[in-house]
Amino acid sequence: MKIKTIVISCIIFLLFAFVSADGFLFTTPKNWPKPVYNFKKNQLTDSKILLGRVLFYDPILSRNNTISCANCHSQYTAFTHVDHALSHGIDDRIGTRNSPALMNLAWHHSFMWDGAINHLDMQALAPISHHDEMDENIKHVTEKLQASKFYPLLFYNAFNDSTITGENTLKAISQFMLILVSANSKYDKVKRMEDSFTKQEENGYRLFKQNCASCHTEPLFTNMDFENNGLPIDSLLHDIGRKRITKNDQDYLKFKVPTLRNIEFSNPYMHDGRFKRIYEVINHYTNIQNSKTLSLKLQKPMILTSNEKVDLTAFLLTLTDKEFLFNPKFGFPKEVLLR
Amino acid sequence: MKTMKKLIYLLLLFILKWNGLNAQSICFNPMFGASKLVLNKQYYIANSTDSIQIETLKFYISNVEFYNNEQLLYKEKNSFHLIDAADSSTFNLPINFLSNTFFNQIKFNIGIDSITNYGGAMGGDLDPTKGMYWTWQNGYINFKIEGKSNLSIAKNKEFVFHLGGYQNSFSTLQTIQLPVQYLSVSPINIAIDKWINEIDLNKQNHIMSPSKEAVLLANKLSTIFSVSK
Repeated sequence: MKIKTIVISCIIFLLFAFVSADGFLFTTPKNWPKPVYNFKKNQLTDSKILLGRVLFYDPILSRNNTISCANCHSQYTAFTHVDHALSHGIDDRIGTRNSPALMNLAWHHSFMWDGAINHLDMQALAPISHHDEMDENIKHVTEKLQASKFYPLLFYNAFNDSTITGENTLKAISQFMLILVSANSKYDKVKRMEDSFTKQEENGYRLFKQNCASCHTEPLFTNMDFENNGLPIDSLLHDIGRKRITKNDQDYLKFKVPTLRNIEFSNPYMHDGRFKRIYEVINHYTNIQNSKTLSLKLQKPMILTSNEKVDLTAFLLTLTDKEFLFNPKFGFPKEVLLR
Repeated sequence: MKTMKKLIYLLLLFILKWNGLNAQSICFNPMFGASKLVLNKQYYIANSTDSIQIETLKFYISNVEFYNNEQLLYKEKNSFHLIDAADSSTFNLPINFLSNTFFNQIKFNIGIDSITNYGGAMGGDLDPTKGMYWTWQNGYINFKIEGKSNLSIAKNKEFVFHLGGYQNSFSTLQTIQLPVQYLSVSPINIAIDKWINEIDLNKQNHIMSPSKEAVLLANKLSTIFSVSK
């Protein structure tokens, strides 16, 4: 028993030596706006990021230790739920929305499709507590972590305190989410003059700027705002969007504009995952029905020929960032969790 | 090392004493009628056969300030206190404040202000493990009361009021200002029965999200705090 603990301690210690040498510092990509996350209140360190990464991949956060954050936010699909329109959680319970892709979160001031969460630190509490997701509570999570073999040591390394608090647990998870920066797609390389678009991509980019960029604003490919994009309400889910939070009629059917980065891998699309393919999304925007709260930016019909749709798609595929999708630093921490 | 720490502590204590800085304390007493509230005790409502019992009472006191007339004398730093009726050690808030200073007003909030609600993860009494945090739409629960009454038509005759909300028209934060005697603060009584009597439990037995109803009930909280004579 004791020997096992010592072995685990040694591995964790060695891991730090390895990770530290590598260095995971956060840098704002060139020509990007300043992040909104206040790093002064939660300064990034290698040991905190590692702890956050372990927590992200550990099903210990769920009631019966079966569901981790990564279940609905898998790296290879841009940290969203592959192949599921509506994400499912504990005991195969199905939620009401498509899990959002996770990237460039340091630039967001609200989270969830309806902006229910106002700070990245508090975001993880929602899935932890949700009946259909992890069905757990943060107090019990901290008790389980405290009783585990390696978490007190990981917390000690990270926060100089082996007493596990909700605050430190959430801050560590934030640290891992903060480093999930995707800024190395072909689009980014073209912008940095390291690569160039094909003619088709170039034309797609032009069409994108004409038709999509007012909401999917560069360089983050979202304006972070809430918009009604003309999707008819699903009569079963009856999801009223942002209005649920603000109780304001003006916000009826408004959802947060998602990023288009890594869109090739983040399907299905829309808040309820109703579209499987990019062409279905584009077809939706060229056939919008007017409604009371429809985004002002969509009032003018979008007209695209079938060739233009193909070109636009070609541009959207340049937003794929393989370095991000396959970066082992963001992957399952088998060194710790497979012990 | 330990003795060193002790010495420094004693020295600090001496300096504080010497400067006349003395720990004041504010004591909150949750009351039901004329006596201190006892959790899970069955109370009878005056002039009726209806009864009520309180099982949980937790709320935040924050931003404690002392005034002499309108002049601010002292503002507590990191002033966030969770009062829990199940733990009487939380009733006393020690305040490091000059004991020989003349003050005649005390001001504090019931609940957590909007800026703090936007502040991300915090520790101590603000740690979300304290059970005073909403997760599906984030924000602190300012005031939580749960119990049973035969007036309630809910399952097991329960009632649950979680008052919170910090945004614009759904703000439930209350500021209380009370006159106090100058050399010490007398206990502050909280007339829980008075607040409960304002609610028609027959018609309303739960609030668990920011709403107009929560604002109405929170507004009534300001009338139940008083300095004991």
